[in-house]
Amino acid sequence: MISRRNFLTTVAVGTVSAAALAACGQSPSQQGSAQNPVTLNYTWWGNDDRAERTRKAIDLFQSKNPDIKINGNFTDFAGYWQKRATEAAGGGLPDVMQWDLSYLRDYAQRNQLLDLGTVKINLDGFDKTLLPSGQVRGKTYGIPTSTNAFAVYYDPAKLKEIGVAEPTGKWSYAEYKKWLGDVGAKSGGKYFGGADFTGVWWQFNIWLRQKNIQAFTDEGKLGFSKDNLKEWWSLASDLRGTPAIIPPDRATQLKPKSAFGANAAASESTWDNFMAAYLKDSGAKELKLVPVPSDDQGNLGLFLKPSMLMVASAKTKYKEAAARFIDFMVNDPEVGNIFKTSRGVPASKTQREGTTFEGADKAVVDYEKSIEKYLKDAPQPPIVGFGTLEAAFLRTSEDLNYGKLTIDGAVDQWFKEAEDVIKQNA
Amino acid sequence: MTQTLTRRRGATSVPLARRTGPRGADVRAGYTFLLPWLLGFIVLTVGPMLSSLYLSFTNYNLFEAPKWIGFDNYVNLFSDDRFLQSVQVTLSYVVFGTPLKLAAALAVALLLNNATRGQGFYRSAFYAPSLIGASVSIAIVWKAMFGDNGPVDQGLSFFGINLGGWVGNPNMTMPMMILLTVWQFGAPMVIFLAGLKQIPTELYEAASMDGAGRVRKFVNITFPMLSPVVFFNLLLETIHAFQIFASAYIISNGEGGPAGSTLFYTLYLYLRGFSDFRMGYASAMAWLLVIVVGIITLLFFRTSKSWVHYSGDSR
Amino acid sequence: MTTTKRETMSSPTAPALAEGQDNPKEYNPKADSRSAKRLRAVVFNVVALALVGVVLYPAVWMVASSLKPNSEIIGNPALWSENFSLDNFVTAMDGIGGVSTAQFFTNSIILAVGAVIGTVLSASVSAYAFARINFPGRNLFFGMMIATLLLPFHVVIIPQYIIFQQLGLVNTYVPLLIGKFLAADAFFVFLMVQFMRNLPRDLDEAARIDGAGHFRIFGSIMLPLMKPALISSSIFAFIWSWNDFLGPLLYLNSPEMYPLPLALRLFVDQTQSSDYGAMIAMSVLALLPVLLFFLIFQRYIVEGVSTQGLKG
Repeated sequence: MISRRNFLTTVAVGTVSAAALAACGQSPSQQGSAQNPVTLNYTWWGNDDRAERTRKAIDLFQSKNPDIKINGNFTDFAGYWQKRATEAAGGGLPDVMQWDLSYLRDYAQRNQLLDLGTVKINLDGFDKTLLPSGQVRGKTYGIPTSTNAFAVYYDPAKLKEIGVAEPTGKWSYAEYKKWLGDVGAKSGGKYFGGADFTGVWWQFNIWLRQKNIQAFTDEGKLGFSKDNLKEWWSLASDLRGTPAIIPPDRATQLKPKSAFGANAAASESTWDNFMAAYLKDSGAKELKLVPVPSDDQGNLGLFLKPSMLMVASAKTKYKEAAARFIDFMVNDPEVGNIFKTSRGVPASKTQREGTTFEGADKAVVDYEKSIEKYLKDAPQPPIVGFGTLEAAFLRTSEDLNYGKLTIDGAVDQWFKEAEDVIKQNA
Repeated sequence: MTQTLTRRRGATSVPLARRTGPRGADVRAGYTFLLPWLLGFIVLTVGPMLSSLYLSFTNYNLFEAPKWIGFDNYVNLFSDDRFLQSVQVTLSYVVFGTPLKLAAALAVALLLNNATRGQGFYRSAFYAPSLIGASVSIAIVWKAMFGDNGPVDQGLSFFGINLGGWVGNPNMTMPMMILLTVWQFGAPMVIFLAGLKQIPTELYEAASMDGAGRVRKFVNITFPMLSPVVFFNLLLETIHAFQIFASAYIISNGEGGPAGSTLFYTLYLYLRGFSDFRMGYASAMAWLLVIVVGIITLLFFRTSKSWVHYSGDSR
Repeated sequence: MTTTKRETMSSPTAPALAEGQDNPKEYNPKADSRSAKRLRAVVFNVVALALVGVVLYPAVWMVASSLKPNSEIIGNPALWSENFSLDNFVTAMDGIGGVSTAQFFTNSIILAVGAVIGTVLSASVSAYAFARINFPGRNLFFGMMIATLLLPFHVVIIPQYIIFQQLGLVNTYVPLLIGKFLAADAFFVFLMVQFMRNLPRDLDEAARIDGAGHFRIFGSIMLPLMKPALISSSIFAFIWSWNDFLGPLLYLNSPEMYPLPLALRLFVDQTQSSDYGAMIAMSVLALLPVLLFFLIFQRYIVEGVSTQGLKG
């Protein structure tokens, strides 16, 4: 319980520190010292597990850099972007932030992010094809911490239980759909095959790549047609309402868990760095990863995406300190050992090679190795407002599953939203 | 609420000062005492209102300076499917939820008004949900109770009704939200109960002499005498219902789903503003809400003349 | 808005209520025989108790679930379980992401106590001006204050946010508390104006004749007399602040500063630790002070509602 004295102390401390913070704003000292460290605000999104790991990394950093103190904050993914937008409006973005590719262009183009080319961060260990995904108009705004690749997860134990063979990962969409149907049918209602894969923007993006279509043109317009999207959403139309994919009302109720994590489906296509999360959610012993289907086995459309980036605020007063922290987070092997593959596979070679991967983490690393020969260039940061579009994509597909929209209606609705977003941000 | 208003009608609250007229010391003291409120009113209400009125005519994404676009936001609202859906969702919540809640409140108040003993206990027990109903905790509990295999699903299955979880079913989320508001009938009920106590017993005595039955007594005495309280409850509950946010946010994971069935007006406003960074658009939505609430308030007062009876009125 | 104001002011609702007076019952000329009376009482109590059961079921279910193991919460409608334990509460007390639930509690208390102090101070002072001082513009301002009662606050949140952001006050408690100190919650001002207007004027008239100024009249005459209004305002200010969600959602970034409702949301959002039992246990913890308040002050609360038309 909180004693009266404690309570008063807390109030007093709170008031004083608020005043102190305000005072800090007036006369910043650019360099910290061990006696008088500078404080960097760092924020990330994620769950409990990531918070724990991040705190460990921060402690390590502070012990190695006594002149810098890291004040860490986190929220969930959706709330994260709401916060950043409002902070940016008032010029108050935290000094260093974990970032997502979807929002990089929004903030970089609006001069909210620090040009990391102007500070010292060691980029020697990075694959040269990966770095452009942290660049906007030729300047580097984000450094990838790690990479992830798209995959189909499945639970071998569940497949064994219902007597369905494990997929090899060399499959066409027709074979994939048949497999989903098999799982649903043979499990006798216990498991669905998977979730509606056509609701995931990135799988659509990969499917477009398999057809050599760019999702967005270099001018920031849509690179695909209504017919493309219609074909994509039609791909699953014979599966909706069958045991092949989980019905939307069930899926909604499992949120925030996914159907796969909640043991309601035997497979799911998503990013490979969700491994640890799915293992924890489902309690499964082992989960396996195979490539997404492609009708052209010579072109899987796969790529390594920065699963997250480190960025700094354009307005940070402590550029040097921010750079040191970013460098530490992306390059330090000990950080790699703290996060393993929970952020994705470490992007920097120094970090990757300094990390020991075992069990599930090894499966993720092995998966990314196994698809190496199919990989194409990492995607450019998508258009401004992409976050809105990605959410609308999922939502529209959900409406489709609920039967609230026809495929044509869904396509029209999404295109309207997309054109609106593009116009807004032109 | 009620007392002063009655008194003000009789204009008894000002006369003393009126006679003498304001003195210099009074003016100074008046504004000194009013200072906190006045400051808050200007800085936190009037200023922001004007500023959001301006923003509603602009395209403002928080990053770049607002761009003047005239009435575009207001016009675009009406071709925005999600906006129209949020209007529909909110209206059905207001139109079904509020009367149901008030009907429950009135019915229970009438029941309790007859109680000789234990009224205090029942009153408190029924009031409790009003205190906690809008909290995040209750939203979480509601979601769990109305989920697949939750107590509601199981209870209904027992009677052979197999609806499954309400949370995932776009047709059932609205009834679920309405039940949540009806569950909080206690607050208006307590006010009704206070109103019922004010009805003079003699009226019922006289009616009984005329041979009036229960129904006639209700129609001719109870309801007219209670009508100012009904009016007060109806107005406040309606305005309140338009602004539901926290429960909708928690129950739908902040998305307004499934299939937009819990996309309440304020939730969409919040998403547009703070998630899509379209502050101009959201401001237009906010102002439209102000206008609609204003019109509804006005309509309430206009129509009230035909059914609200004030004790001072000659009937 | 002006029309609204005028009409609100001119609309009397129920006449004044005198507490403690006898309940006038619906008059029944047919004198009930004793047994018929008793039968009616039994029927009434059965019906009313059944209703109480239905109404309180969600709360009871919540408490029962918080004590059950995870596997028994869903799919087992029985309220009783042989496996009742406090395990969920132990987990819930651990908090989230390195912040303990005790910290969230402390935060909620700081905010709620701050809200109470601010509200009582500012609302009573402002109410005194409205109720007891005659100055030009008073009626106009009073009308405006009433209008803000009906104003959907969404219209001010965006600019307010921008103001606080520019002042560097986001992620502090200032935006959440400043409004309380500036009497922004018109309901409390209104409630106190109502209360003050019903206090006899003779007292301050007499003090005036003795040469007392407004400050002394307010401090030594009004405030002591206003105790009931101050108490019910405090209770409601506390509870509203305790349950507030949107304010903290907008303004607070660090989990270390979160009050309970936000912490709860964070808990729900933790995709990888969706522990039903702990989530419900935390919901119970978050409501505990409100429920305790209700049990202790229920008289004040319910009376406050019935006389002032306060909403829960």
